[in-house]
Amino acid sequence: MKQIFSKLFVIVMFLLGVQAAHAQFTATGTITDEAGEALIGATVQVKGTVIGTTTDIDGSFSIQVSSNQATLVISYTGFTDQEVEVSAANPTANVTLASSVEQLSEVVVVGYGETRREAITGSVTSLKSEQIEQVPLASVEQALQGNIAGLQSVAGSGQPGANVQIRIRGIGSISASSEPLYVIDGIPVTAGDISRINTTANTMASLNPNDIAQVTVLKDAAATSIYGARGANGVILITTKSGRSGKPKIDLRTQIGFNDWAVSENRRLKTLTSEQYTEMYLEGWMNRGETVERAMERFENHYPGAVNFGPNGEIQQINVESNWIDAVTRTGINQSYDLSVSGGNDAVTYYGSAAYFSQESPIIYSGLDRYSSRLNLRVKANERLTISNNITISKLDQFGASGGSFWANPIYNGYFLAPVIPIYDDQGRAYGDHKNFFMGGNNPVGSLSGDDDRNLEQIRIMDNLTGEYEIAKGLKFKTAWAFDLINLQEEYYRNPRYGDGRNVNGINRESTINELNWIGTQTLNYTTSFNESHNLTALVGYEAQKNRRKRVLAQGEQFPNGELRTLENAATPTNATSDITQYSFESVFSRLDYNYNYKYYLTASIRRDGSSRFGVNNRYGTFWSVGASWRIDQEPFIENATFINDLKLRTSYGTNGNAGIGNFRHLPLFGFGADYDGSPGGFPDEIGNVNLTWETSTNFNIGVDFGLFNFLSGTVEYFNRESDNLLLDRPISSTTGFTVLTQNFGAMRNSGLEVTLDATLISGQDFQWSFGGNLTFLKNEVTRLDEEIVTGTKIRREGLDFQSYYLYEWAGVDPATGTPLWYTDETESTTTGSINDATRFVSGRSATPDFFGGFNTNLSFKGLTLDAQFSLSFGNYLYDATARFVQGDGGLTPRSQTNLNLKRWRNPGDITDVPFFRWGGNNNSNVANMTRWLHDGSFIRLRNLTLAYTLPQNLISKAGIRSARVYMRGVNLLTWTRDENLYLDPEAQISGIVSSPIPNLKTISFGIDLGF
Amino acid sequence: MNIMLKKYIIYPFVVIALLVASSCDEEFLELQPSGASDLNSAIQNIDGYRSAMNGVYSGLQSSNYYGRYFILVPDVMADDVKQNAQANRAREYSDYVGFSEHFIASGIFNTLYNVINRANTVINAETEVPAAVQGQKDQFRGEALAVRGLAHFDLVRIYGQHYGFTNDNSHLGVPIVTEFDQDAKPARSTVAQVYAQVISDLEQGVSLMNEVQSSAGRMSKEAAQALLARVHLYMGDWAKAEQLASSVINSGKYSLVATDQYVSGWSSQSTSESILSVFFRNDDDNGSDALGRMYIVEGYGDYLPSQDVIGLIPEGDVRLGVFKEDENLSGALGSVRMDKFPDPATQNSTPIVRLSEMYLIRAEARAMQNNDTGAQEDVTLIRQRGLPTADAVTATGEALLDEIATERRIELMFEGHRLWDLMRKKQGVSRTDCTNLICEIPYPNDRFILPIPQREIDANENMVQNSSY
Repeated sequence: MKQIFSKLFVIVMFLLGVQAAHAQFTATGTITDEAGEALIGATVQVKGTVIGTTTDIDGSFSIQVSSNQATLVISYTGFTDQEVEVSAANPTANVTLASSVEQLSEVVVVGYGETRREAITGSVTSLKSEQIEQVPLASVEQALQGNIAGLQSVAGSGQPGANVQIRIRGIGSISASSEPLYVIDGIPVTAGDISRINTTANTMASLNPNDIAQVTVLKDAAATSIYGARGANGVILITTKSGRSGKPKIDLRTQIGFNDWAVSENRRLKTLTSEQYTEMYLEGWMNRGETVERAMERFENHYPGAVNFGPNGEIQQINVESNWIDAVTRTGINQSYDLSVSGGNDAVTYYGSAAYFSQESPIIYSGLDRYSSRLNLRVKANERLTISNNITISKLDQFGASGGSFWANPIYNGYFLAPVIPIYDDQGRAYGDHKNFFMGGNNPVGSLSGDDDRNLEQIRIMDNLTGEYEIAKGLKFKTAWAFDLINLQEEYYRNPRYGDGRNVNGINRESTINELNWIGTQTLNYTTSFNESHNLTALVGYEAQKNRRKRVLAQGEQFPNGELRTLENAATPTNATSDITQYSFESVFSRLDYNYNYKYYLTASIRRDGSSRFGVNNRYGTFWSVGASWRIDQEPFIENATFINDLKLRTSYGTNGNAGIGNFRHLPLFGFGADYDGSPGGFPDEIGNVNLTWETSTNFNIGVDFGLFNFLSGTVEYFNRESDNLLLDRPISSTTGFTVLTQNFGAMRNSGLEVTLDATLISGQDFQWSFGGNLTFLKNEVTRLDEEIVTGTKIRREGLDFQSYYLYEWAGVDPATGTPLWYTDETESTTTGSINDATRFVSGRSATPDFFGGFNTNLSFKGLTLDAQFSLSFGNYLYDATARFVQGDGGLTPRSQTNLNLKRWRNPGDITDVPFFRWGGNNNSNVANMTRWLHDGSFIRLRNLTLAYTLPQNLISKAGIRSARVYMRGVNLLTWTRDENLYLDPEAQISGIVSSPIPNLKTISFGIDLGF
Repeated sequence: MNIMLKKYIIYPFVVIALLVASSCDEEFLELQPSGASDLNSAIQNIDGYRSAMNGVYSGLQSSNYYGRYFILVPDVMADDVKQNAQANRAREYSDYVGFSEHFIASGIFNTLYNVINRANTVINAETEVPAAVQGQKDQFRGEALAVRGLAHFDLVRIYGQHYGFTNDNSHLGVPIVTEFDQDAKPARSTVAQVYAQVISDLEQGVSLMNEVQSSAGRMSKEAAQALLARVHLYMGDWAKAEQLASSVINSGKYSLVATDQYVSGWSSQSTSESILSVFFRNDDDNGSDALGRMYIVEGYGDYLPSQDVIGLIPEGDVRLGVFKEDENLSGALGSVRMDKFPDPATQNSTPIVRLSEMYLIRAEARAMQNNDTGAQEDVTLIRQRGLPTADAVTATGEALLDEIATERRIELMFEGHRLWDLMRKKQGVSRTDCTNLICEIPYPNDRFILPIPQREIDANENMVQNSSY
């Protein structure tokens, strides 16, 4: 590394020696729009040079010109460029820009650079800051849902700060990662969940969405191949805000709101009342052949004094009535305060922010707090050299509930806990005396309210130092050095009195994770034009990256009391371990962009990647792409078709890779940690595979972008993504001592159609109405697999969708006996009461939607705007993984059940789909992997509804306020599901598996944004 | 133009190229994990043998093996154990409704073969060691061979019908694995072949193990002999069984725990009669998955002792001390718990072989060879250790064999013996104090053994499923 630094230093010093030219006069002026409003941040450039500036808050500019006269080019997004002559004699230029109807001319950040929308040959969609700011969600990925064609985004858990799953153009891998690459200001960063003790966390939640200027999603090869071995699952580029020269702009954004479950009250599963539970309890024993007296005796043993019975089990009086779900839920508060300042002058621009974000879950004592600050500084040292540094520091605290099928999950446990168990004991403490017969006596109310601790603290610092030097006209050298530091502290303490800590006098588990990710990127970019019509940009670069993560875990038991919780107080340490994992990448890459007359575009990219993750036999790979586009609207023959505003045809083809295969999968390993009797022990841990390498992806894309009749624009594109060499844990005979061997073997195809439409329906002076939407039709197929793989509820089989369910087909309840029935096979002609006589089969249902997307509409009248955004998914199925317990027909004694059990079979002739209730279970009626637990997951959800009012300028300017906006916003206000009995939240994990997640949030909030 | 080209394009590109070249060292991309070493050079010296052998023992701790299920499952299938109402784990076997996709069937199968692979790593490492530690290497190889023999014996017991099920023992056993081959898809050997392999491994282990083992937590010459005694008992090779049991008894290394310490002995890691046990420590115990937790009230408490076995124990017998009243239990379930494995925090081992079993093996072997006097002595010793005032055994012939069987059932209850003892004697399971869905399971029965896991059937075309699954 030292070598690189010293060489860089020499280069930079050499470059600094190049003389800057002398200015001759200063041109000044003001830029306004057609209405006479100042245009802030318009670009003013001396034609034929790279000298340029931007207008300040009054729309005025001042620029040094190095000759006696010059042409200034004025440009501004959404307006037509204009040229104006200035000279030493006449240095003033006041220009009015005409707005352009063309939607395509925005600047879009792409891999290792930026480009104008019309020059893009690949599939690239971007989201601007307005769509992200102040959305009351913890992380930016959540804001992508329903907004970008081809992209699925789900949290799968309402735990504030939960991990968010993103799939771009389907699932491209069987066993490796299917998550996209995240790049913040040019730096590939760690994303996703790296936590160890908590059930879900998200490193990306440390980023303040209000700091984001633009999110760009790269989807096809022309856009992603420049990221080589990491581009296969798509790339999400996040660009943070920067300042513009001008007076300081101060923005204060505040918001406060309320969080509730997204699933409405009438749809949620209900707990049983004491009366319902008690009846079921007695019935469950009597269905085992016991007498009512014996059943009452059992009840009294379990729940002393909870219910007074008559002689035949009649309930005479109920003395305990606990609603555990109500007891663990509340209305959470959402708060956000964000202060930012930006501005600058010709030499220095800055953007700084400090923010606090707090989200309380509807589960008591659960939530997230984030403190973050950012400073993006850009210094133009001279005409050629620009240095910028972006730094952000954030602290994220996540605390409280965990999801999944764990007792610690209050939503899971809350349904199990009998309503006849009191919540508090006679000392006012959380009741725990059911520990001997009831799941260790877990009490979620006590656990969450302080008897236990479960929290996560993440501190993240990201810094990115960039130097840009213009060596000569059109030739720029850029060096970027960045580090990303993550410190994650987790703690999970369980009290000595009840629950998991009861047998060991309290238990605490603490974990620390430290990650350092550094990266250095050097690029040269050359832009030139020749013979008037040929425009060329060439980029070459070199990048090296290394990531090192160290984890420490310690656990202890036997605590002196429930107050002292750090491990120093544990009498018996039971675990102490640490490990280090790392990976490195080294890459060279190049891209060529060419266009003829801004009409015919051609791009090509190539990247060679080497990585420590790949086996020695396949350590380096080369990835490439070509793309072309044709702006048909620029052709003379279409000039007469005035209804066409824009028309562009584009296509691309290329390859990239998926390196998300784990850090050391290729190595044959002899692992340690298999200790015995206090001495270290080792064992053959991984078979290893020296040939193991990235998964490849070959992408074809063709699309058309159009703008018609001055009000309609959109994109239609078709993609075909062939994933090959997929990492497969191929099952091997476990007589080898291993159950799987990891190989690059499988293949899969995702193809589909993406349609995006935007329409301005009314665009009057005072009243505007627009509508937009996107839909993605996705087809997934496993195209190569030697042996079927059955994993959980799914089967992976050639020719089938990757997410095809493979289940026993539930045939309901035998009306004569109340026992469960299944179909014996796929003919569904005969039923059986014995699970051993039934077979699992593919019924065509899958967790992959037939189509998904979203639509939005925007109404505005004077200062008042109403925005509504919907997201939707159709044709996918959800599997309720915990239903077999929570609706287990008595399979787990003596746990309570949900209100669904009230429909249970009781008498011959009863027609129902809930079998009779029997403690110890009813003929395997609650086996896993059957369609009894499968539900249609199709839904449309009102994701976001915002009513905002922007106060008139004349009203606020007297108060010294630049802008003022008040709004009311609802997130997940309404949900429509095709299955009208669906009690699950349809926004589930990509896999369709719903395992008692923390409920997704419905948020209603009020906000005020002020600009000074 | 040419100069321009040189100055502005070629030079910088050359600089970049140099930069790339200078940093492109292979080391940058050669990273190793912190917790593992290269598999192919795992055993470099005697320390490598030691840690690999520890890894083998660690495998025995798995909750799929001696940590829980390998002991629990056969016991819940037999008649010493009855199901508690909330039984959740292994219920499918207790009720004889197991199926080939069930996780316990695959858990036991995968874990035992994993242990065999760990043992093979030690056995097949061709690492030369200095003469000074050659003895230690032999000891480790001997331990590994004996564990490999034990694991094959355990596999053939739980996935194959018992020795003697067919006259020539040509019925299906399990695959024999003596070396690692990632592409192997072995077929099932016959029970005769597996027993031959088990004996060969254990005998080879006996001859290689030369060091005095200070702890019952590790395989020793005597432990291998004790296991061989059991193997020969199952085979009905009475002379060998007697001879091997005698050499363990006569080794002088073990003694029966005194009567008054019998119950408290179950709260310690090992006693003077422990020959081979799997030890656990706080940092590697199975926590709530420990064997004892399946029985004790503080744990899952899924299973309860049956009056069928409790009723056989004479009043005053110290062995009644392993049962504990639980007032929450009543009716058919009531009223005692089984506390032979009281608390994983203090009792932290699973016994594999104890000295009392050697006396009982010898008693049975002697009785079968018509040495009734010798048999009476051995069984009396065990009976009077439990109840010193009990009469000496005087029965002969069939009656003596019955008394030995009863004594064996009492002494070894809940240690995973009962089902195999019934099977080898061709008896069914008959539960009188029964809370299960099924109380009479006649012999012979396809369901006395577990299914070969479905995933193995799918991955290995040479594998044959057990009938009825």
